[in-house]
Amino acid sequence: MSEGLDYKFLIDTFFVALSGVPIALAITIVALMVALPLGFILALSRINRFLVLHRFAQIYVSFVRGTPIIVQIFIVYSSIPLLLDSIVTKYNFEMNVYDVNPIWYAFIVFSFNTTAILIEVFRSALNTVSKGQLEAAQSVGLTNVQAFRRIIIPQTLVVALPNICTVTVNLIKATSLGYALSLQEITLRAKVAANVGYNYVEAYIDIFLVYLILCSLVEYIFKLYEKRLIKYKAVNA
Amino acid sequence: MEKYFDATYILQSIPMLLPFLKVTFMVACLSILFGTIIGFILAAAKLGKSKIARNLANGYITILRCTPSIVLLFLVYYGIPAIGNNLGMNLNDIDKAVFVIVTFSLQFGALMCEVIRSAYESIDKGQFEAAVSVGLSNIQAYGRIIFPQAFVVALPNFGNSLLALLQEGALAYTIGLIDIVGKANLIIASNYNAHALEIFLALSIIYWVISIAIEHFFLKLERAFSKGKQSLKAL
Amino acid sequence: MLEIKNIQKSFGESKILKGVDIKIDKGDVVVILGPSGSGKTTLLRCINFLEKADEGLAVFDGIDINLKTASKRQIHSIRQKTAFVFQNYNLFNNKTALENVTEGLIVGRKMPKEEANELGKKALNKVGLSEKYNAYPSELSGGQQQRVGIARAVVIDPDIILFDEPTSALDPELVGEVLTVMKNIAKEGTTMLVVTHEMSFAKDVANRVIFMDEGIVIEEGSPKDIFVHPKEERTRKFLKRVLPEDFTYYI
Ligand SMILES: Nc1ncnc2c1ncn2[C@@H]1O[C@H](COP(=O)(O)OP(=O)(O)O)[C@@H](O)[C@H]1O
Ligand SMILES: [Mg+2]
Repeated sequence: MSEGLDYKFLIDTFFVALSGVPIALAITIVALMVALPLGFILALSRINRFLVLHRFAQIYVSFVRGTPIIVQIFIVYSSIPLLLDSIVTKYNFEMNVYDVNPIWYAFIVFSFNTTAILIEVFRSALNTVSKGQLEAAQSVGLTNVQAFRRIIIPQTLVVALPNICTVTVNLIKATSLGYALSLQEITLRAKVAANVGYNYVEAYIDIFLVYLILCSLVEYIFKLYEKRLIKYKAVNA
Repeated sequence: MEKYFDATYILQSIPMLLPFLKVTFMVACLSILFGTIIGFILAAAKLGKSKIARNLANGYITILRCTPSIVLLFLVYYGIPAIGNNLGMNLNDIDKAVFVIVTFSLQFGALMCEVIRSAYESIDKGQFEAAVSVGLSNIQAYGRIIFPQAFVVALPNFGNSLLALLQEGALAYTIGLIDIVGKANLIIASNYNAHALEIFLALSIIYWVISIAIEHFFLKLERAFSKGKQSLKAL
Repeated sequence: MLEIKNIQKSFGESKILKGVDIKIDKGDVVVILGPSGSGKTTLLRCINFLEKADEGLAVFDGIDINLKTASKRQIHSIRQKTAFVFQNYNLFNNKTALENVTEGLIVGRKMPKEEANELGKKALNKVGLSEKYNAYPSELSGGQQQRVGIARAVVIDPDIILFDEPTSALDPELVGEVLTVMKNIAKEGTTMLVVTHEMSFAKDVANRVIFMDEGIVIEEGSPKDIFVHPKEERTRKFLKRVLPEDFTYYI
């Protein structure tokens, strides 16, 4: 290994790693689409102490925040086949539980994880939007639903946006753990390419660069969006 | 392969896993130590006057924020021996724990930089001015007035960073460190993959309990230290 | 005792202090008046090295100190001889009232703790806070906080105390208690340089009044000179705007 970097491999593998980006993005987008509404609703239940839901949400958040995501992946990956298996044998479905595309596991784990994180994000954002806002909306005759849709939610989103950006970047980074699900994402593709000639250093430099570009881009987009929101606020004011 | 779920395996595996917490904690503590030092240096660079230092610190933080732990871990694991090789050193035999500690120190340093900077900036400049105006030296003003207040502000974020470190640290098994996660995987392998779920559940319970304990500890600490803090909020 | 010569200071492009001279004798109470933005705060901060002046000299008991190039030791020695009372109090949030007052004695002057506590309690008694030794700033009203701020300044027995609008952050009903404390320490012969908009304080307590505008001293004299016979047009305009209708000057 003393001959320095293999530049040809470095360049070729960069594109191999890049080809894993769509999967990483697909997981990120699906997880956010599930987690944003669900997280918001559960955050409301936490704040309004709604029935048993808020207790459930509390334990759920505590578990997700208290355990490594890789362990959550292990648990989902080893429990879902068991569950499916028992269902399949019980109802005599025609299905091999080990043929399930691993991306489904990824959707489940990352939605499960991101929802919990977003509950906390929305909870703290909702807390900063003062109670007076709701009261003011009610006092001019808006219903509760209208008040939320038109006054509370927009303000909450603005407050939560920087944190949602962080959550998104962390989510993209966490998809690198898809290797544990044998998912053909960025990290695994490059690593497999490296197995042939033991070019691990080059492979990980490529992976590193792809994540760096991807995450910086996402941060940049969020920044732009935030600026637009702030301008909009300034115009309104 | 037996496929049924048996909860007794959870209870049985916990005592087998617990001794390996030693490794997990050792790695975490050293990463916290070195990471905090890195964090102070970065924060000083970010708050200082030198534009070059500020840009370097910002670049460092952006890069680390955008790099998954596992990627950084393998970059360090393969990269350091390769660099050593080029310099004519044989670094292939160093303990795996060293790579883990290097990785998570680098990462924790970036987290701590932001914690330290925001705590420092939350303290009103007037506190420093009042201190020097009653005759304290600059160092005394930092040591007795600024630092104690910034410390209280930093506590919750420090606690959160600590939890993040503990959880990211779970990836150390991927380069073959036998910490608590590594041991869990060994147990599963020696069981021919049977009862993996139970052992992972045991693992998650251990992590969960530790996290809750750390959280409570920091809440207590915050309460103990937050004398006179209300007015900080009012400022 | 303290003489300030030709103090100049710019922030970026704008020149805030354009060469100010002030002379203060022992026991003087000098009040600085002037519209907001005229550089009063900047002047006080430069004297205490909270801001570095671009130009200027401080003559302290016959010793020249260059305000621009002063060494760390000189800065420290000036700060030991002066005290500052801030507009927004700046009490140490992590310390009780008594600890606030003794901090400068114990740490700045290496005084034994017992002795410092003794003096600190005396100072707090003097400002009427004998009940509040162990209260944190967050547990005190604005007026009480500022009185601790004054006690903190008085206790180090400085040659001069600089006050920067000590009452302007206070609710109107709390202004009186702070002014009373200031009057009392003035009576004890403390040398004071006070920026304030409280005309009654200037009239009753000051032995000299300085009117500043746009970074220069426009005119100075006894309270009577300034309030009854102002020479400058700008002074007259300013007084007309800020003096209450029923403000009368008794000799
Ligand atoms: N740190 C600073 N940076 C830039 N401008 C400043 C700073 N401090 C004060 N100024 C400017 O200097 C001018 C005078 O301020 P100041 O001394 O506070 O006036 P005053 O106390 O008489 O109201 C103001 O226009 C203010 O904006
Ligand atoms: Mg001012």
